[in-house]
Amino acid sequence: MLEALDLVKHYGPVHALDGFTLNARNGEIVGLLGHNGAGKTTFVEIVSSLVRPDRGVVRLDGRTPAQARGEIGIAPQHLGLYPSVTVREHLELFGRLAGLRGATLRHAIDELAVELRLLEIMDRRTGVLSGGQQRRTQAASALIHRPRLLLLDEPTAGADLETRQAMLDVVKQRAAEGTAVVYTTHYLPELVELQATIAVARDGRVIARGTYDELVAGLPGEVRLVFDTDDDETEEIRLSTTEPTATLIDLLSRTKRPVSSVDVRKPSLDDLYRSLAVSNAS
Amino acid sequence: MLRDLERDVDVRPVVARAAQVRPTPGALDALRESGNRIGALVKHNVVMRLRDPGQMISYLVMPMVLMVFLKPLYVRAVEGGATQVVTGLMVMFSVFAIAIAGSSILVERQWQTWDRLRSSRASATELLLGKTIPIFLIMVMQQAVLLTYGCLVIGLPIPPSIGYVALAILVWAFALLALGAALATIARSLGELSVVADVGALLVSSLGGALVPVAILPGWAQAAAHVSPGYWALELMQRAIAGDGGGMLLPAAILLALGVAAGAFAVRRLTRGWGRTRLL
Repeated sequence: MLEALDLVKHYGPVHALDGFTLNARNGEIVGLLGHNGAGKTTFVEIVSSLVRPDRGVVRLDGRTPAQARGEIGIAPQHLGLYPSVTVREHLELFGRLAGLRGATLRHAIDELAVELRLLEIMDRRTGVLSGGQQRRTQAASALIHRPRLLLLDEPTAGADLETRQAMLDVVKQRAAEGTAVVYTTHYLPELVELQATIAVARDGRVIARGTYDELVAGLPGEVRLVFDTDDDETEEIRLSTTEPTATLIDLLSRTKRPVSSVDVRKPSLDDLYRSLAVSNAS
Repeated sequence: MLRDLERDVDVRPVVARAAQVRPTPGALDALRESGNRIGALVKHNVVMRLRDPGQMISYLVMPMVLMVFLKPLYVRAVEGGATQVVTGLMVMFSVFAIAIAGSSILVERQWQTWDRLRSSRASATELLLGKTIPIFLIMVMQQAVLLTYGCLVIGLPIPPSIGYVALAILVWAFALLALGAALATIARSLGELSVVADVGALLVSSLGGALVPVAILPGWAQAAAHVSPGYWALELMQRAIAGDGGGMLLPAAILLALGVAAGAFAVRRLTRGWGRTRLL
């Protein structure tokens, strides 16, 4: 569905993209991970035809982003809402701009109101809504026309749990219906829940791509055991290991002291980053 | 493409829902769709304007009040004093209304909504028409109401040709709208826009003879008056009220040229977007 090849974009001396390549098939969720300045937002802006690349090609089923604009849904990182306009009016505006009318539009609005838990705030102006409610409104306006490609740029940034869960549910639902999704985030657990293909961006290019299991395979996690001591104090052991579960079982079977708590930490985004940085440098 | 996906995953029943390609519309359908999008944008902008009508009310009520209190002075001071006070204040407060055009565009930048619109199916032309048609109507309405008020309350002679007056109002509103849009693309904040629009409006209208007739301005001001769009607006309006169609040609041409130049500048800037480096 989406093919982006060797994109380059400079803002003065800043190399926002430097050979960025990424594909997404229909029904696939591609989680784009990366620290600030990795090029995620510039990539989203180019695919949504807001910015032209200095070099490189973007195609959506063989068409340019400008030609396929009506089939893209975008929820940018920053909130772009009209404070004096209600949630319903936002959805009506973006639905009508996408060509929806009458009963079709009303049905699409009603469906999204349920999916994104907006029912109770549909007739409230967005300027008085909470941050999470505004995030959901923004996502709804990107989803209203059932786009074939969905670009969600940090859709859960600063969001509450309800918003996060609603967002993940609706993304999973739309991907199951065949929508290609590019989902940028800093939170690895979200991509694990979405069962996304993960692409890691760094310094304007994608430096790794694969499933979570593929990417973190071989990376060390951490096992932490806390023991009670005789003098009412606690003692802690931390072990870095690539097999945290097996190590934990082994430790528990060998110790005779009372264990007050156990913690197993799987490899994190930072672990992945550090590992990729080392492998890139070498 | 669909076949490839169906081979990999058994999602055929639901894929069809999201992946249906819209047929290419014929010319008439495309025109209707474009009209629908412009209609949606116009409705949206009218709703926003009606929910925040403060500026509109100010620029309508203030000249009405001033006309009543300044009329005796003008009638005693100059020949055709009623015409001078009505057209002068009309022009002056319509220039102030540039701030309405400017702010309605500038807030899109502050709210970061312009890029949301640009990434929709609407073309740049549709976005601009949807944005500017309501403001144009507001400006036309403001001048029409003030002119009617001038005739009914201030004693402005009824114009022999309503057509000429309507034409003058349309031309002037177009020039103002284009100037306001151009201003909005270079102002960095609402405060900056407000300063430029207010000080500029006072200069343009004073120099153009809206407050004091050009004939009794100092020599240097009379020479500089022709540079002011306010001068040509006043000339156009007074000729239209007098029913002098021939005399309207030059001021109308100058204002139209100014409007086209400012409009082209604004369109170019708005189509490109402000970009990240220019975000507030």
